[in-house]
Amino acid sequence: MQEEVFNELAELALKGSGQAIPKSKSYLIEARLAAIARREGFGTMADLVHCLKSRANPVFAAEVAAALVSKDTWFFRDRDALKRVVEDVLPKRLKASNTGRLKVWCAGGGSGQEAYSLAILLEDELPASLRGAKIDILSTDICKVTTEKARVARYGHYDVQKGLSIHRLVKHFTRLETGQWEASEALRSRISFRQHNLLERADGLGNFDVILCRNVLSGMARSARTEVIDSITKQMMPGGMILLGGGESVIGLTDKLEPARHFRGGWVAAGTANAEASAA
Amino acid sequence: MKTCLIVDDSRVVRKVAARIVRDLKFEVIEAGDGAEAMRQCRQNMPDAILLDWNMPVMNGLDFLRALRREEDGKHPLVVFCSIENDAEHINEALSSGADEFIMKPFDADILESKFAEVGLV
Repeated sequence: MQEEVFNELAELALKGSGQAIPKSKSYLIEARLAAIARREGFGTMADLVHCLKSRANPVFAAEVAAALVSKDTWFFRDRDALKRVVEDVLPKRLKASNTGRLKVWCAGGGSGQEAYSLAILLEDELPASLRGAKIDILSTDICKVTTEKARVARYGHYDVQKGLSIHRLVKHFTRLETGQWEASEALRSRISFRQHNLLERADGLGNFDVILCRNVLSGMARSARTEVIDSITKQMMPGGMILLGGGESVIGLTDKLEPARHFRGGWVAAGTANAEASAA
Repeated sequence: MKTCLIVDDSRVVRKVAARIVRDLKFEVIEAGDGAEAMRQCRQNMPDAILLDWNMPVMNGLDFLRALRREEDGKHPLVVFCSIENDAEHINEALSSGADEFIMKPFDADILESKFAEVGLV
């Protein structure tokens, strides 16, 4: 890929979705934009860049930026963390709640595997302490196509075999004539989906007991990580928790959060970790 | 080192699977049909079996049922691996004693994920 073409697309990714794509990974750009280029009839990435510059179409530019975000995910990614959310974090939040209602946000939830994994745990391994609770799961992603894929809940041969046991596949999914597997209505009814760019204000999404923002920050530029953390922290309910992916941290990005005492990868409002520990 | 018996009448599938399974730190044994697999098991029961469905002489399902009747036959973790991937076939495999099921075609990520599901890796 020519350097100026790479620079244009890397700049678009940075502005549009906060992604920092190094030159050494320019192959990612070609792979992630292949479908759009094919659909629009562009023979090369240079043609696509030329179109972006000459048309000045913000909708198309946003679509390209969203397509540049990694879609790599699978069911039950970091299973132990998801189990602890269901077994420990949500029951504690329910105790503190006076509504009997809990809200979970899968921020940057991609094609829905994380949200469906949580829904499966709530179906199969609901702790007694959560019985009767109304648990709403919202999954958002920057990409319209990915959000729609998550909502439709139809997964291909490879997707359903990564992280999902065969027992759970036949229990919670139905094989369609197309060969795809569709999540059950019971799972789908637990989750709502919205297209949302984490660089934008999230006030309209509401406030949440638990925000999973896992493996999202790691691909972002530092300035974008700060913006995202600021934005999602505003949507965390008092006493709530933000859960990041393995190796991700907010240290140096905000002084509003501190590590949760008993949950690796969990972040709570600054000054409250001790209170959380004593309540545990 | 754990042992894995790969049972498939396709030499190509056995070769591809063997390479992946060796990368997962298993010693690999191979068999081209269910009857040969049963002879191998009676000599030396493996820790894991990756099992095709449609094979000559003795198919995967008949082998699995026979294996589970053997004295030491409940020990190996059996991962079925088949192009028969509708819910009916999957349930039949599970009720006959399979621990996991891989729908062909598969790749290294899928095989590793399925081995992880049953605690083999």
